[in-house]
Amino acid sequence: MNREVTLRQITFMYLFISISSILRQMPQMLASEAGRSGYLSPVWSVLATVPLTAIVILLIKSYPGLNFYEIMEQLIGKVLAKIVILLYLLWIFLAITAKVTAYSLTMQFTLMPRTKSDFFMAIMIVLVFYALIRGIKTIFRFSELTLGTVLVFFAVLFLCAMTRIRRDYLLPISTIHLKSTIMASKYVIAIGGNIIIALFFADKFGITVTKQQLRKLWFGLGTFTVLAFVITIFSFGISGTSLTANLPFPFYITVKSISFFNIFERFEVFVTLICILSDFATICIFAILLMRCVTWVFNLTECNFLYTPLAMIVFYSTYYLSSTQFEFNYLYQYIIVNLNLIFQYIVPLILAFFCFIKRKKIKQQY
Amino acid sequence: MIYIFSFTIIYTFIRQREKILSKKRNFALYILFSVGGLALGIVYLLNPYLPSLTTALEKYMK
Repeated sequence: MNREVTLRQITFMYLFISISSILRQMPQMLASEAGRSGYLSPVWSVLATVPLTAIVILLIKSYPGLNFYEIMEQLIGKVLAKIVILLYLLWIFLAITAKVTAYSLTMQFTLMPRTKSDFFMAIMIVLVFYALIRGIKTIFRFSELTLGTVLVFFAVLFLCAMTRIRRDYLLPISTIHLKSTIMASKYVIAIGGNIIIALFFADKFGITVTKQQLRKLWFGLGTFTVLAFVITIFSFGISGTSLTANLPFPFYITVKSISFFNIFERFEVFVTLICILSDFATICIFAILLMRCVTWVFNLTECNFLYTPLAMIVFYSTYYLSSTQFEFNYLYQYIIVNLNLIFQYIVPLILAFFCFIKRKKIKQQY
Repeated sequence: MIYIFSFTIIYTFIRQREKILSKKRNFALYILFSVGGLALGIVYLLNPYLPSLTTALEKYMK
């Protein structure tokens, strides 16, 4: 069946948009919060991401063919659903703005330190604009095609870096660190919660969603956890915790010391490229979610004409939100992570609770 | 950038005027977001060194 978006594409997109945050923010946050034992936090994150995936699957299975807003409308009523979607709209707006800032800061830190952020942002806006005109299928296909190559690249990178890992940077750890690693896992959870994008596109999957298709989400979650764990181990094992905690892009520095049998070096350029591609996909997908939220909140039939004014608001908001690396770190650590936890976990949990209460009524409907 | 954005806003209005003017809601939203964006742009143009929201939050939360 020719569907606009499939669960496989959602899974690929979930992994692809998570990559930039896994590479850039996660090792730094885990190192500063949990120290040497921080690489165990991705393991603990499973305790939150598995129930979330189960909730997403439950909602998709309970309301086949309905999107996030329609599901909410069924569960909590139209007025409350609109209010919640309006809050989601603000959260997505903040997430896009932060992503644009992170992208321009990455470019300045890695490849072009003398170039102004206006330039990077203008280019990104043009690219996103072009991708949006082409349609969501193009964006999903892009991530589907690119993710495989990216994962192979990481596999090669990790094989080359295996000998450079220092055990004394990772061990010893003891039960004293248990609490800090559990607390730090919120930084992994806040990235892993991106899986809720499946709910926003749930109406595109069609009425019949098979178990095999839903299994793709579990595969995505498993890959995410493994990737987060491996990248943290390599960042900590090669650069050490103190350096990782104090760098804006620790994985970039880690990769600098890796070479492929002394033949090929400077993998860091590829890491930057992967980050940029991931940021591009994230901004595209969040822009689509933003437009969907605008459509739901204001009952619009079409919203293409709002692309330019919204792009302008996002562009200038990046300056008002955070402009330096220090400000961005603060924003990410104290605001974005906590907001992610609310909108990615608490709201779906409440919806799942309502779904559980109304399960008999739902069974009669379908 | 503000000149480019202003031009694009006018261009979008001319290209998609049928859609924008077909409903009062569409027109109101278009004006609201355009004015909002332009206001942000003008404020940035007048004072590019305004303290960011994060700085204000950092001070407030300490």
